[in-house]
Amino acid sequence: MKQSFTAVLERNTTLRGNFKTEPYEVAWANEARWFINTLAIEPGTEIKARVQISPDGLNWCDVDGEAQTVSDTGTVSWTTSDFGGWLRLNGDVASGTEDTQGTAKVQIYLALKG
Amino acid sequence: MSKIKKVLNGANVSIDVSNELVDALRKSAVAADPKLSKFNPLSRILVHDDFNTGTHGWIELIGNHDEQGNLDTVDDHMRDFRPPQLSSCNFFDVGTHGAMSGTYALKISTRPEAGHTGVAIRRLTMAGRGKVQFETYLAYKAEAHSEENGAAYEAGSGDWDANFHPSERQFGALTIATDICDGVRYHCVARYLNTSLDNKIVQKWVYPSVPEPTPREHFEGKLKLPRTADFTAPNPEDWHEFTERQELCFNEVPTKVNWHYVRWVIDTETRTNVELQVNDEVFDMSDVPVPAYDEEYGSLGNLLNFYVSVRTHANVRNFVYLDSVLISVDW
Repeated sequence: MKQSFTAVLERNTTLRGNFKTEPYEVAWANEARWFINTLAIEPGTEIKARVQISPDGLNWCDVDGEAQTVSDTGTVSWTTSDFGGWLRLNGDVASGTEDTQGTAKVQIYLALKG
Repeated sequence: MSKIKKVLNGANVSIDVSNELVDALRKSAVAADPKLSKFNPLSRILVHDDFNTGTHGWIELIGNHDEQGNLDTVDDHMRDFRPPQLSSCNFFDVGTHGAMSGTYALKISTRPEAGHTGVAIRRLTMAGRGKVQFETYLAYKAEAHSEENGAAYEAGSGDWDANFHPSERQFGALTIATDICDGVRYHCVARYLNTSLDNKIVQKWVYPSVPEPTPREHFEGKLKLPRTADFTAPNPEDWHEFTERQELCFNEVPTKVNWHYVRWVIDTETRTNVELQVNDEVFDMSDVPVPAYDEEYGSLGNLLNFYVSVRTHANVRNFVYLDSVLISVDW
């Protein structure tokens, strides 16, 4: 039977500006699926999140693929493959105007199987 | 009305451990099993967690939420204890170090924020009373420096001499503890205080003289703790040493992992600590107080939780790695 683990990388967290999720070890896993559950987001604000990989949990680069964009409450999900030993999200929360910074309250899950 | 019979100590164990020959055979069977022979289990093994086969129920501790599942109602200091990780002990200089057995260990991690605590918990209940023994092989590390984390410039840094690495001063504390309720709720706690809050080497085992603050106490308006409060006992003055200095094997740099044997015994019949063995030293804990709550807690009949926590005293991630865990009892 496969192993599985869902890690809650951010819980009920209000994000603003640039954010990086804590480094998470995934060498044991074959499958990785991200979920961002957006509990609240200011009108006009967008979250752009890029998946990053690392050889050591210290040095990071983007993995191929588009940045995920979230602009509404609810749940979005996507998968990442061929990720090596570590995963994190590197993202930005922006309002699109200079008047406000923009915030989003989220849960970020990483569902792993292997 | 049906007759209630309480289980007597030892009455439930499947073999007669009072018979010397039977007990010798039990010990021989343990010694013959490569996975068990590194432990010294009591007569019944409740838990044997080999992290090459998953997390075995070890999960992030979190405070309590309300009936709508509103996480805003979780205490600030109990809402971010970080998910445990199945770690291959992977480092920038050597790649995959691996665990003591196989590739994977359970890693408990903090954020890079002084005062942050990572906690993994294992939830059981008690089918009897008596000795309970927690054994593990563990390692502990502070995160290596990188351009992004700047660990080499954080508190505790400096004075590298090719033997002592300042990373060792950037590891705060690790704690092994319980949450037990038999009508009375109490915690047995043992903490390896590697450094003081100002990053000076201490390396002594300490215990708290007060019970852990609970979500109900917050709900009742008795206390409100900040995000990075020490949830086991927030006031540093409530921690007291029960050993002399014990130097462990950090092994000079933040990327070498040496596994330490830990065996900790408590007694749930007497609600007391018994002893703590860490490698070749055995500390008598029978006089180490176990603070209990004055008030009763419902919903916790026969509660038997173990947690392992790691707490950083610098803006540097701290890690505790568990190769495997064995919990055994004499009932």
